[in-house]
Amino acid sequence: MKSVSIIDYGKGNVRSVYNALDYIGVESIITKDSKEIDNSSHIILPGVGAYGDAMKSIRDYGLDEVLHEQVINKGKPFLGVCVGMQVLSSVGFEHGEHKGLGWLDAKVIKLEKGPECLKIPHMGWNKINLSLEHSLFKGFNDEMLVFYFVHSFFMKTKENDKILASCQYGINFTAGVAWDNIIATQFHPEKSQDTGIKMLNNFINWTP
Amino acid sequence: MLKKRIIPKFLLKNGSLVKYKRFFDDKRMAGNPVSTAKIYNDYGADEFIILDILPSDDSKNRVLEIISTISEEVFMPFTVGGGVRSLEDINLLLRAGADKIVINSQAVLDPRFVNEAAKTFGDQCITISIDYAQIKKGVHRVFINGGRDRTNYNPIDWALKMQDSFCGEVLLTSIERDGIMSGYDIDMIKKLDSKLDIPLVVSGGCGGIQHCVDAFSAGASAVAISSLFLFTDHSPIKLRSHLFSNGVNVRASKNSWN
Repeated sequence: MKSVSIIDYGKGNVRSVYNALDYIGVESIITKDSKEIDNSSHIILPGVGAYGDAMKSIRDYGLDEVLHEQVINKGKPFLGVCVGMQVLSSVGFEHGEHKGLGWLDAKVIKLEKGPECLKIPHMGWNKINLSLEHSLFKGFNDEMLVFYFVHSFFMKTKENDKILASCQYGINFTAGVAWDNIIATQFHPEKSQDTGIKMLNNFINWTP
Repeated sequence: MLKKRIIPKFLLKNGSLVKYKRFFDDKRMAGNPVSTAKIYNDYGADEFIILDILPSDDSKNRVLEIISTISEEVFMPFTVGGGVRSLEDINLLLRAGADKIVINSQAVLDPRFVNEAAKTFGDQCITISIDYAQIKKGVHRVFINGGRDRTNYNPIDWALKMQDSFCGEVLLTSIERDGIMSGYDIDMIKKLDSKLDIPLVVSGGCGGIQHCVDAFSAGASAVAISSLFLFTDHSPIKLRSHLFSNGVNVRASKNSWN
């Protein structure tokens, strides 16, 4: 049976992810317990707090090793959201320099206010452009690819073949990455109304 | 391109939705907060804001219950405030399902509070709410405690000071225009936006489509709307489609997907 572990690692709103899965009709638990994570079929790393704090909690709870075992070794479907995507990088520069999980050769840097006089944080609904075909966007047409973002930092990677989607905000930044059984998005599907619910539903039915 | 946002704003008093004019006059009842939030989710509003205007220990618990219930069925971002005085208040609201927290009076009473909140929960999660009124020609002042107490800050200086304390967004409300539906305070929006690096949500005065167009042209990232949605036949769907056809960069409505 399908069940999702929502990784509980910091201060913030993880309940929305839980509620969205409940709405779809999928069992989930908010947990940092390695046995419970082992018992679940899917894993979501939600986005809460800043990069450094997030990584500190992940390490303090030993979740870096648990996630490596479950996602990299066992190949469970994994979805990272917002900071949950950013920490897949090797290093993040939010309030200092912090080592990430390092699953991807990437760094996380600040959005800079540009000539178009953009507001930081990048907050609200924006269009993404898919650069990979992916099961999580099955049944989406181009107009539906609008999602809710709220962030001041973004991921920059040289691993171009793993870039799933990009988004335009002064610069063209990476809005999602995907490879093997791993997918991660800078935007919040759990806050993106019908399109987000549809994407989460596809995640649950995904067989990587 | 980032879309301009349409944000229904609701005021809670003892657990019910209410709407006044200029904060204190002509109280009108406006329904049940949970069912209203669901309706606006179905209408495809971009976010919504819910503020407890008469906060007490008792009402704080009711707000937490309301937020928990809303977050079970509403999958869009929502901002909650009213009576937020401590990091623990913020933590409880976030855990109940809120995405952004509004701080108003406590920012004035404790100048370090916004900074601490932003460091603890992330700056994107802290919205500073500024209620202001003109006290004599050309002189504006920030009011706290639900518009009851005047401070010595002018709204622009105060917003910039709060930006320096790492708040992620400003919700700017004109007390004199609240519920009047005669248009936003465009001069103030222009002045503030030209100096502000963070998103600006404007509130107070929306009475029609042109008012939203004007506010966006003046630099607003989002328009907060109460009376127009509560007391006229306008809905976010209708407003969105009108704005879209007027060339404003808003999300297309759901029925264009197919």
